[in-house]
Amino acid sequence: MLKHLYDTDCVTWSPQGKLFQVEYAMEAVKQGSICLGLKSNENVVLCSLKRQPSELAGYQEKQFKIDDHMAIAIAGLTADARVLCKYMRTECLEYKYTYESHHPVGRLVFKVAEKSQHKTQSGAKRPYGVGLLVAGIDPNGVHLFETCPSGNYYEYKCQAIGSRSQAARTYFESWFHLFEKSTLEQLILHGLSAIKKAIMEDEELNEKNVEVGILGKNLKFTHLNAQELKDYITKLDTFSPNSQIQQE
Amino acid sequence: MIFNSEISGQQQHTTSPVVTGGSVIALVYNGGVIVGTDTLCSYGSMATFKNVQKIAQISKNTIYASSGEFSDFQQVVKELAKIDRSALQYDDGVHPSPKDYGNFLARLSYKKRCKINPLYLQNVIAGFHNGERYLGLVDIYGTYLESNFITTGFASYFCKAIIANYWNENCTLDQAKQVIRECFKVLFCRDCRAHDVIQLAYVDAQGAHIEEPERVETKWDFNGFKSRANEKLHTQ
Repeated sequence: MLKHLYDTDCVTWSPQGKLFQVEYAMEAVKQGSICLGLKSNENVVLCSLKRQPSELAGYQEKQFKIDDHMAIAIAGLTADARVLCKYMRTECLEYKYTYESHHPVGRLVFKVAEKSQHKTQSGAKRPYGVGLLVAGIDPNGVHLFETCPSGNYYEYKCQAIGSRSQAARTYFESWFHLFEKSTLEQLILHGLSAIKKAIMEDEELNEKNVEVGILGKNLKFTHLNAQELKDYITKLDTFSPNSQIQQE
Repeated sequence: MIFNSEISGQQQHTTSPVVTGGSVIALVYNGGVIVGTDTLCSYGSMATFKNVQKIAQISKNTIYASSGEFSDFQQVVKELAKIDRSALQYDDGVHPSPKDYGNFLARLSYKKRCKINPLYLQNVIAGFHNGERYLGLVDIYGTYLESNFITTGFASYFCKAIIANYWNENCTLDQAKQVIRECFKVLFCRDCRAHDVIQLAYVDAQGAHIEEPERVETKWDFNGFKSRANEKLHTQ
Protein backbone atom coordinates (compact mmCIF):
# COMPACT_ATOMS: atom_id res chain seq x y z
CA MET A 1 0.00 0.00 0.00
CA LEU A 2 1.40 3.37 -0.98
CA LYS A 3 0.94 4.85 2.46
CA HIS A 4 2.89 7.96 1.69
CA LEU A 5 0.19 9.06 -0.74
CA TYR A 6 -2.45 9.27 1.98
CA ASP A 7 -0.60 10.03 5.20
CA THR A 8 0.27 13.71 4.90
CA ASP A 9 -2.56 15.12 6.95
CA CYS A 10 -5.67 14.25 8.91
CA VAL A 11 -8.04 15.34 6.19
CA THR A 12 -7.03 12.57 3.77
CA TRP A 13 -8.61 9.12 3.89
CA SER A 14 -6.80 6.10 2.52
CA PRO A 15 -8.66 3.84 0.07
CA GLN A 16 -8.91 1.28 2.88
CA GLY A 17 -10.77 3.78 5.04
CA LYS A 18 -7.89 4.66 7.36
CA LEU A 19 -6.64 7.99 8.65
CA PHE A 20 -2.92 7.35 8.75
CA GLN A 21 -2.01 10.42 10.77
CA VAL A 22 -4.26 9.20 13.56
CA GLU A 23 -2.75 5.73 13.40
CA TYR A 24 0.75 7.18 13.55
CA ALA A 25 -0.29 9.14 16.61
CA MET A 26 -1.34 5.89 18.27
CA GLU A 27 2.18 4.60 17.56
CA ALA A 28 3.54 7.42 19.70
CA VAL A 29 1.53 6.02 22.60
CA LYS A 30 3.05 2.60 22.06
CA GLN A 31 6.52 4.11 22.31
CA GLY A 32 5.91 5.52 25.77
CA SER A 33 6.95 3.49 28.80
CA ILE A 34 4.36 1.18 30.22
CA CYS A 35 1.57 2.25 32.52
CA LEU A 36 -1.30 0.13 33.70
CA GLY A 37 -4.43 0.35 35.78
CA LEU A 38 -6.69 -2.15 37.52
CA LYS A 39 -9.77 -1.83 39.64
CA SER A 40 -11.73 -3.70 42.27
CA ASN A 41 -15.15 -2.93 43.71
CA GLU A 42 -13.63 -0.37 46.03
CA ASN A 43 -10.29 0.79 44.66
CA VAL A 44 -8.36 1.67 41.52
CA VAL A 45 -4.60 1.31 41.27
CA LEU A 46 -2.34 2.90 38.65
CA CYS A 47 1.20 1.57 38.15
CA SER A 48 3.78 2.99 35.79
CA LEU A 49 7.41 2.54 34.89
CA LYS A 50 9.30 5.80 34.93
CA ARG A 51 12.04 6.46 32.37
CA GLN A 52 15.32 8.14 33.18
CA PRO A 53 16.66 9.97 30.10
CA SER A 54 20.25 9.72 31.43
CA GLU A 55 22.07 8.93 34.66
CA LEU A 56 22.21 12.61 35.49
CA ALA A 57 18.50 13.09 35.03
CA GLY A 58 15.52 12.50 37.25
CA TYR A 59 12.74 10.06 36.44
CA GLN A 60 9.82 11.29 34.32
CA GLU A 61 6.59 11.33 36.30
CA LYS A 62 3.73 9.51 34.62
CA GLN A 63 0.81 9.97 36.97
CA PHE A 64 -1.03 13.17 37.64
CA LYS A 65 -3.78 13.94 40.12
CA ILE A 66 -6.76 15.59 38.47
CA ASP A 67 -8.93 15.94 41.56
CA ASP A 68 -9.35 14.15 44.87
CA HIS A 69 -11.41 11.50 43.13
CA MET A 70 -9.57 11.21 39.82
CA ALA A 71 -6.08 10.69 38.43
CA ILE A 72 -4.42 9.87 35.11
CA ALA A 73 -1.43 7.83 33.99
CA ILE A 74 0.08 8.81 30.65
CA ALA A 75 1.94 7.07 27.83
CA GLY A 76 3.32 9.03 24.89
CA LEU A 77 4.22 12.67 24.41
CA THR A 78 4.48 14.17 27.88
CA ALA A 79 3.97 17.69 26.56
CA ASP A 80 0.64 16.72 24.99
CA ALA A 81 -0.29 14.94 28.21
CA ARG A 82 0.25 18.14 30.17
CA VAL A 83 -2.21 19.99 27.96
CA LEU A 84 -4.90 17.37 28.56
CA CYS A 85 -4.06 17.23 32.26
CA LYS A 86 -4.49 20.99 32.59
CA TYR A 87 -7.78 20.81 30.72
CA MET A 88 -9.11 18.03 32.97
CA ARG A 89 -8.04 19.85 36.13
CA THR A 90 -9.72 23.05 34.99
CA GLU A 91 -12.95 21.25 34.16
CA CYS A 92 -12.99 19.54 37.57
CA LEU A 93 -12.37 22.83 39.33
CA GLU A 94 -15.14 24.60 37.46
CA TYR A 95 -17.57 21.78 38.15
CA LYS A 96 -16.71 21.89 41.83
CA TYR A 97 -17.13 25.67 41.92
CA THR A 98 -20.59 25.43 40.36
CA TYR A 99 -22.01 22.28 41.93
CA GLU A 100 -19.87 21.72 45.04
CA SER A 101 -19.45 18.09 44.01
CA HIS A 102 -17.06 15.95 42.00
CA HIS A 103 -17.06 15.87 38.20
CA PRO A 104 -18.54 12.56 37.01
CA VAL A 105 -15.65 10.55 35.61
CA GLY A 106 -17.23 9.24 32.42
CA ARG A 107 -18.34 12.71 31.49
CA LEU A 108 -14.85 14.18 31.76
CA VAL A 109 -13.40 11.35 29.68
CA PHE A 110 -16.10 12.09 27.12
CA LYS A 111 -15.01 15.73 27.05
CA VAL A 112 -11.36 14.73 26.58
CA ALA A 113 -12.35 12.36 23.79
CA GLU A 114 -14.35 15.09 22.10
CA LYS A 115 -11.36 17.42 22.32
CA SER A 116 -9.09 14.71 20.89
CA GLN A 117 -11.46 13.95 18.03
CA HIS A 118 -11.51 17.59 17.05
CA LYS A 119 -7.80 17.38 16.33
CA THR A 120 -8.35 14.52 13.91
CA GLN A 121 -10.70 16.41 11.65
CA SER A 122 -8.74 19.50 10.72
CA GLY A 123 -6.17 20.32 8.07
CA ALA A 124 -4.11 22.48 10.33
CA LYS A 125 -3.99 20.33 13.46
CA ARG A 126 -2.39 17.10 14.58
CA PRO A 127 -3.83 14.55 17.02
CA TYR A 128 -2.63 14.45 20.62
CA GLY A 129 0.22 11.93 20.82
CA VAL A 130 -0.68 10.56 24.22
CA GLY A 131 -2.90 7.86 25.66
CA LEU A 132 -4.37 8.32 29.11
CA LEU A 133 -5.50 5.82 31.68
CA VAL A 134 -8.10 7.68 33.73
CA ALA A 135 -8.86 6.27 37.18
CA GLY A 136 -11.80 7.77 39.01
CA ILE A 137 -14.56 7.23 41.54
CA ASP A 138 -18.03 8.79 41.32
CA PRO A 139 -21.58 7.94 42.39
CA ASN A 140 -21.79 5.53 39.45
CA GLY A 141 -18.97 3.45 40.87
CA VAL A 142 -15.28 2.76 40.36
CA HIS A 143 -13.94 3.53 36.89
CA LEU A 144 -10.91 2.95 34.71
CA PHE A 145 -10.93 4.47 31.24
CA GLU A 146 -8.46 4.53 28.38
CA THR A 147 -8.36 7.43 25.93
CA CYS A 148 -6.70 7.36 22.51
CA PRO A 149 -5.36 10.00 20.11
CA SER A 150 -8.20 8.94 17.81
CA GLY A 151 -10.81 10.32 20.17
CA ASN A 152 -12.12 6.93 21.20
CA TYR A 153 -12.41 5.95 24.81
CA TYR A 154 -13.09 2.65 26.49
CA GLU A 155 -13.92 1.55 29.98
CA TYR A 156 -11.85 -1.29 31.40
CA LYS A 157 -11.55 -3.61 34.38
CA CYS A 158 -7.80 -3.45 33.85
CA GLN A 159 -5.62 -2.23 31.03
CA ALA A 160 -1.99 -1.62 30.15
CA ILE A 161 -0.63 0.80 27.53
CA GLY A 162 2.85 1.74 26.33
CA SER A 163 5.85 -0.32 25.35
CA ARG A 164 5.77 -4.05 26.11
CA SER A 165 2.26 -3.64 27.50
CA GLN A 166 1.17 -6.90 25.87
CA ALA A 167 3.08 -8.84 28.54
CA ALA A 168 1.14 -7.04 31.25
CA ARG A 169 -2.15 -7.58 29.44
CA THR A 170 -1.39 -11.29 29.24
CA TYR A 171 -0.91 -11.34 33.01
CA PHE A 172 -4.23 -9.52 33.38
CA GLU A 173 -6.03 -11.98 31.17
CA SER A 174 -5.02 -14.80 33.49
CA TRP A 175 -5.90 -13.10 36.74
CA PHE A 176 -8.45 -10.31 36.23
CA HIS A 177 -11.28 -12.45 37.55
CA LEU A 178 -9.73 -12.02 41.00
CA PHE A 179 -9.54 -8.23 40.91
CA GLU A 180 -13.15 -7.39 41.72
CA LYS A 181 -12.94 -8.72 45.25
CA SER A 182 -9.25 -8.01 45.85
CA THR A 183 -8.10 -5.92 48.77
CA LEU A 184 -6.12 -2.78 48.07
CA GLU A 185 -2.88 -4.55 48.93
CA GLN A 186 -3.62 -7.47 46.61
CA LEU A 187 -4.49 -5.04 43.84
CA ILE A 188 -1.18 -3.22 44.23
CA LEU A 189 0.72 -6.50 44.17
CA HIS A 190 -1.12 -7.61 41.03
CA GLY A 191 -0.25 -4.30 39.38
CA LEU A 192 3.41 -4.60 40.28
CA SER A 193 3.48 -8.22 39.13
CA ALA A 194 2.07 -7.17 35.78
CA ILE A 195 4.65 -4.43 35.39
CA LYS A 196 7.39 -6.88 36.28
CA LYS A 197 6.37 -8.96 33.26
CA ALA A 198 6.95 -5.97 31.02
CA ILE A 199 10.45 -4.89 32.04
CA MET A 200 13.58 -5.83 30.15
CA GLU A 201 15.78 -8.67 31.36
CA ASP A 202 18.55 -6.41 32.62
CA GLU A 203 16.18 -4.00 34.38
CA GLU A 204 14.71 -4.42 37.78
CA LEU A 205 11.85 -2.81 39.70
CA ASN A 206 12.86 -0.46 42.44
CA GLU A 207 11.27 2.40 44.34
CA LYS A 208 12.85 4.93 41.97
CA ASN A 209 11.61 3.70 38.61
CA VAL A 210 8.12 2.58 39.61
CA GLU A 211 5.18 4.85 40.40
CA VAL A 212 2.05 3.56 42.12
CA GLY A 213 -1.04 5.65 42.63
CA ILE A 214 -4.09 4.50 44.60
CA LEU A 215 -7.68 5.73 44.75
CA GLY A 216 -10.60 4.43 46.76
CA LYS A 217 -14.19 5.22 47.66
CA ASN A 218 -13.00 6.77 50.91
CA LEU A 219 -9.42 7.29 49.83
CA LYS A 220 -8.34 10.41 47.99
CA PHE A 221 -5.77 9.89 45.28
CA THR A 222 -2.28 9.38 46.71
CA HIS A 223 1.08 8.08 45.52
CA LEU A 224 2.87 5.38 47.48
CA ASN A 225 6.01 6.85 48.97
CA ALA A 226 9.51 5.39 48.54
CA GLN A 227 9.37 3.24 51.69
CA GLU A 228 5.95 1.82 50.87
CA LEU A 229 7.11 1.03 47.34
CA LYS A 230 10.16 -0.78 48.70
CA ASP A 231 7.95 -2.85 51.00
CA TYR A 232 5.58 -3.84 48.23
CA ILE A 233 8.38 -4.73 45.85
CA THR A 234 9.82 -6.96 48.57
CA LYS A 235 6.39 -8.57 49.07
CA LEU A 236 6.33 -9.40 45.36
CA ASP A 237 8.77 -12.24 45.98
CA THR A 238 6.25 -14.06 48.13
CA PHE A 239 3.10 -12.96 46.32
CA SER A 240 1.23 -15.51 44.26
CA PRO A 241 -2.24 -15.05 42.79
CA ASN A 242 -2.90 -18.72 43.40
CA SER A 243 -2.98 -18.12 47.13
CA GLN A 244 -5.71 -15.57 46.59
CA ILE A 245 -7.89 -18.20 44.94
CA GLN A 246 -7.41 -20.56 47.89
CA GLN A 247 -8.56 -17.81 50.24
CA GLU A 248 -11.84 -17.62 48.41
CA MET B 1 -23.80 40.51 13.83
CA ILE B 2 -23.92 40.04 17.56
CA PHE B 3 -25.71 42.89 19.29
CA ASN B 4 -24.44 43.31 22.81
CA SER B 5 -27.15 45.17 24.63
CA GLU B 6 -25.03 45.57 27.73
CA ILE B 7 -22.48 47.68 25.92
CA SER B 8 -25.08 49.78 24.13
CA GLY B 9 -26.65 50.60 27.47
CA GLN B 10 -30.03 49.17 26.57
CA GLN B 11 -29.75 46.32 29.09
CA GLN B 12 -32.51 46.72 31.61
CA HIS B 13 -31.96 45.84 35.22
CA THR B 14 -34.61 44.30 37.42
CA THR B 15 -35.26 46.96 40.01
CA SER B 16 -38.69 45.89 41.14
CA PRO B 17 -40.80 42.85 40.42
CA VAL B 18 -44.04 42.94 38.43
CA VAL B 19 -45.87 39.62 38.86
CA THR B 20 -45.01 38.10 42.20
CA GLY B 21 -45.58 34.88 44.12
CA GLY B 22 -46.01 34.69 47.87
CA SER B 23 -44.34 32.83 50.68
CA VAL B 24 -42.83 29.37 50.48
CA ILE B 25 -42.61 27.12 53.52
CA ALA B 26 -40.49 23.98 53.48
CA LEU B 27 -39.88 21.43 56.23
CA VAL B 28 -38.14 18.11 56.60
CA TYR B 29 -40.07 15.20 58.08
CA ASN B 30 -39.06 11.70 59.03
CA GLY B 31 -39.27 10.29 55.52
CA GLY B 32 -38.35 13.22 53.30
CA VAL B 33 -38.97 16.89 52.71
CA ILE B 34 -42.18 18.84 52.10
CA VAL B 35 -42.75 22.21 50.43
CA GLY B 36 -45.88 24.38 50.51
CA THR B 37 -46.84 27.46 48.53
CA ASP B 38 -50.07 29.24 47.79
CA THR B 39 -51.40 29.35 44.23
CA LEU B 40 -51.53 33.10 43.76
CA CYS B 41 -49.53 35.39 41.52
CA SER B 42 -50.17 39.03 42.32
CA TYR B 43 -49.89 41.95 39.93
CA GLY B 44 -48.83 44.49 42.49
CA SER B 45 -51.67 44.45 44.99
CA MET B 46 -54.13 42.86 42.57
CA ALA B 47 -54.75 39.14 43.01
CA THR B 48 -54.66 38.41 39.28
CA PHE B 49 -53.67 34.80 38.72
CA LYS B 50 -55.28 32.63 41.34
CA ASN B 51 -54.59 29.14 40.08
CA VAL B 52 -50.86 29.02 39.50
CA GLN B 53 -48.64 26.03 40.23
CA LYS B 54 -45.54 27.49 41.82
CA ILE B 55 -43.77 24.22 42.66
CA ALA B 56 -41.80 22.62 39.84
CA GLN B 57 -40.35 19.15 39.63
CA ILE B 58 -36.77 19.46 38.40
CA SER B 59 -35.71 15.84 38.45
CA LYS B 60 -36.90 12.56 39.87
CA ASN B 61 -35.96 13.50 43.40
CA THR B 62 -35.78 17.28 43.40
CA ILE B 63 -38.44 19.99 43.51
CA TYR B 64 -38.10 23.76 43.32
CA ALA B 65 -40.25 26.64 44.49
CA SER B 66 -39.63 30.32 44.98
CA SER B 67 -41.23 33.58 46.03
CA GLY B 68 -40.73 36.78 44.08
CA GLU B 69 -40.87 37.64 40.39
CA PHE B 70 -42.72 34.80 38.69
CA SER B 71 -41.08 35.19 35.29
CA ASP B 72 -37.73 34.67 36.98
CA PHE B 73 -39.15 31.51 38.56
CA GLN B 74 -40.11 30.24 35.11
CA GLN B 75 -36.65 31.04 33.76
CA VAL B 76 -34.91 29.26 36.62
CA VAL B 77 -37.06 26.16 36.02
CA LYS B 78 -35.80 26.15 32.42
CA GLU B 79 -32.18 26.57 33.49
CA LEU B 80 -32.38 23.74 36.01
CA ALA B 81 -34.16 21.45 33.54
CA LYS B 82 -31.30 22.07 31.10
CA ILE B 83 -28.86 20.58 33.58
CA ASP B 84 -31.03 17.55 34.14
CA ARG B 85 -31.15 16.94 30.40
CA SER B 86 -27.37 16.94 30.19
CA ALA B 87 -27.45 13.40 31.54
CA LEU B 88 -29.13 12.41 28.29
CA GLN B 89 -26.48 14.25 26.27
CA TYR B 90 -23.54 12.57 27.98
CA ASP B 91 -25.19 9.16 28.00
CA ASP B 92 -23.92 8.27 31.46
CA GLY B 93 -27.08 8.15 33.58
CA VAL B 94 -25.56 10.53 36.14
CA HIS B 95 -28.19 12.93 37.45
CA PRO B 96 -27.34 15.90 39.61
CA SER B 97 -28.25 15.55 43.27
CA PRO B 98 -30.55 18.16 44.89
CA LYS B 99 -27.44 19.75 46.43
CA ASP B 100 -25.91 20.16 42.97
CA TYR B 101 -28.98 22.11 41.85
CA GLY B 102 -28.89 24.23 44.99
CA ASN B 103 -25.26 25.17 44.47
CA PHE B 104 -25.76 25.83 40.78
CA LEU B 105 -28.61 28.19 41.52
CA ALA B 106 -26.49 29.94 44.14
CA ARG B 107 -23.72 30.50 41.56
CA LEU B 108 -26.23 31.73 39.00
CA SER B 109 -27.90 34.12 41.44
CA TYR B 110 -24.58 35.46 42.63
CA LYS B 111 -23.40 36.08 39.09
CA LYS B 112 -26.53 38.04 38.25
CA ARG B 113 -26.33 39.93 41.53
CA CYS B 114 -22.80 41.00 40.70
CA LYS B 115 -24.10 42.56 37.50
CA ILE B 116 -26.76 44.41 39.49
CA ASN B 117 -29.41 42.50 37.56
CA PRO B 118 -30.65 39.88 39.99
CA LEU B 119 -33.07 37.03 39.72
CA TYR B 120 -35.67 38.64 41.94
CA LEU B 121 -36.34 35.49 43.93
CA GLN B 122 -35.97 33.70 47.22
CA ASN B 123 -35.46 30.13 46.05
CA VAL B 124 -36.08 26.84 47.80
CA ILE B 125 -34.64 23.59 46.46
CA ALA B 126 -35.93 20.43 48.14
CA GLY B 127 -34.96 16.84 47.55
CA PHE B 128 -34.19 13.38 48.82
CA HIS B 129 -30.96 11.74 47.69
CA ASN B 130 -29.20 8.57 48.87
CA GLY B 131 -31.36 8.42 51.97
CA GLU B 132 -30.56 12.01 52.93
CA ARG B 133 -33.08 14.82 53.13
CA TYR B 134 -32.07 18.08 51.50
CA LEU B 135 -33.47 21.59 51.85
CA GLY B 136 -31.60 24.54 50.39
CA LEU B 137 -32.33 28.25 50.38
CA VAL B 138 -30.82 30.61 47.81
CA ASP B 139 -31.72 34.24 48.20
CA ILE B 140 -31.67 37.19 45.80
CA TYR B 141 -27.97 37.82 46.47
CA GLY B 142 -26.86 34.26 45.89
CA THR B 143 -26.50 33.40 49.57
CA TYR B 144 -26.68 29.65 49.95
CA LEU B 145 -27.94 27.95 53.11
CA GLU B 146 -29.00 24.40 53.93
CA SER B 147 -31.47 23.92 56.73
CA ASN B 148 -34.14 21.68 58.26
CA PHE B 149 -36.84 24.23 57.64
CA ILE B 150 -37.09 27.20 55.32
CA THR B 151 -39.51 30.09 55.09
CA THR B 152 -39.48 32.91 52.56
CA GLY B 153 -41.28 36.21 52.39
CA PHE B 154 -43.84 37.03 55.05
CA ALA B 155 -43.77 33.46 56.37
CA SER B 156 -40.38 34.31 57.89
CA TYR B 157 -42.12 36.80 60.16
CA PHE B 158 -45.40 35.07 60.95
CA CYS B 159 -44.77 31.39 60.76
CA LYS B 160 -41.54 30.67 62.59
CA ALA B 161 -43.32 30.63 65.95
CA ILE B 162 -45.81 28.05 64.68
CA ILE B 163 -43.04 25.91 63.21
CA ALA B 164 -40.99 26.15 66.39
CA ASN B 165 -43.91 25.03 68.55
CA TYR B 166 -45.54 22.33 66.47
CA TRP B 167 -42.83 20.82 64.27
CA ASN B 168 -39.71 18.77 64.78
CA GLU B 169 -37.44 17.24 62.18
CA ASN B 170 -38.69 13.70 62.84
CA CYS B 171 -42.40 14.33 62.66
CA THR B 172 -44.64 12.39 60.28
CA LEU B 173 -45.71 13.59 56.87
CA ASP B 174 -49.23 14.33 58.10
CA GLN B 175 -47.93 16.33 61.05
CA ALA B 176 -45.71 18.37 58.74
CA LYS B 177 -48.64 18.98 56.38
CA GLN B 178 -50.77 20.21 59.27
CA VAL B 179 -48.08 22.63 60.38
CA ILE B 180 -47.82 24.07 56.88
CA ARG B 181 -51.60 24.37 56.55
CA GLU B 182 -51.73 26.20 59.87
CA CYS B 183 -48.98 28.54 58.69
CA PHE B 184 -50.84 29.43 55.50
CA LYS B 185 -54.02 30.02 57.51
CA VAL B 186 -52.20 32.64 59.49
CA LEU B 187 -50.63 34.08 56.36
CA PHE B 188 -54.01 34.40 54.66
CA CYS B 189 -55.25 36.38 57.65
CA ARG B 190 -52.27 38.67 57.96
CA ASP B 191 -50.41 38.86 54.62
CA CYS B 192 -52.20 41.09 52.12
CA ARG B 193 -50.70 39.25 49.15
CA ALA B 194 -51.61 35.77 50.32
CA HIS B 195 -54.30 33.41 49.10
CA ASP B 196 -56.30 30.68 50.79
CA VAL B 197 -55.65 28.00 48.17
CA ILE B 198 -52.36 26.23 48.76
CA GLN B 199 -50.37 23.41 47.18
CA LEU B 200 -48.15 20.90 48.93
CA ALA B 201 -45.41 18.77 47.42
CA TYR B 202 -43.13 16.28 49.09
CA VAL B 203 -40.10 14.21 48.10
CA ASP B 204 -39.38 10.86 49.69
CA ALA B 205 -37.48 7.71 48.78
CA GLN B 206 -40.02 7.00 46.03
CA GLY B 207 -39.49 10.37 44.37
CA ALA B 208 -41.35 13.64 44.08
CA HIS B 209 -45.12 13.96 44.62
CA ILE B 210 -46.92 17.19 43.87
CA GLU B 211 -50.44 17.22 45.31
CA GLU B 212 -53.57 18.89 44.02
CA PRO B 213 -54.25 22.40 45.36
CA GLU B 214 -56.40 22.61 48.47
CA ARG B 215 -58.23 25.41 50.23
CA VAL B 216 -57.17 26.15 53.79
CA GLU B 217 -59.93 26.20 56.36
CA THR B 218 -60.77 29.70 57.43
CA LYS B 219 -63.55 30.93 59.61
CA TRP B 220 -65.30 34.19 58.90
CA ASP B 221 -68.63 33.84 60.70
CA PHE B 222 -67.41 35.33 63.97
CA ASN B 223 -69.96 37.33 65.96
CA GLY B 224 -67.57 40.23 65.95
CA PHE B 225 -67.74 40.39 62.14
CA LYS B 226 -71.51 40.03 62.07
CA SER B 227 -72.05 42.71 64.63
CA ARG B 228 -69.27 44.78 63.10
CA ALA B 229 -68.02 45.63 66.55
CA ASN B 230 -64.83 47.23 65.18
CA GLU B 231 -66.71 49.56 62.89
CA LYS B 232 -68.72 51.44 65.51
CA LEU B 233 -67.96 55.12 65.47
CA HIS B 234 -65.86 56.22 68.36
CA THR B 235 -67.17 59.33 69.93
CA GLN B 236 -65.42 61.26 72.55
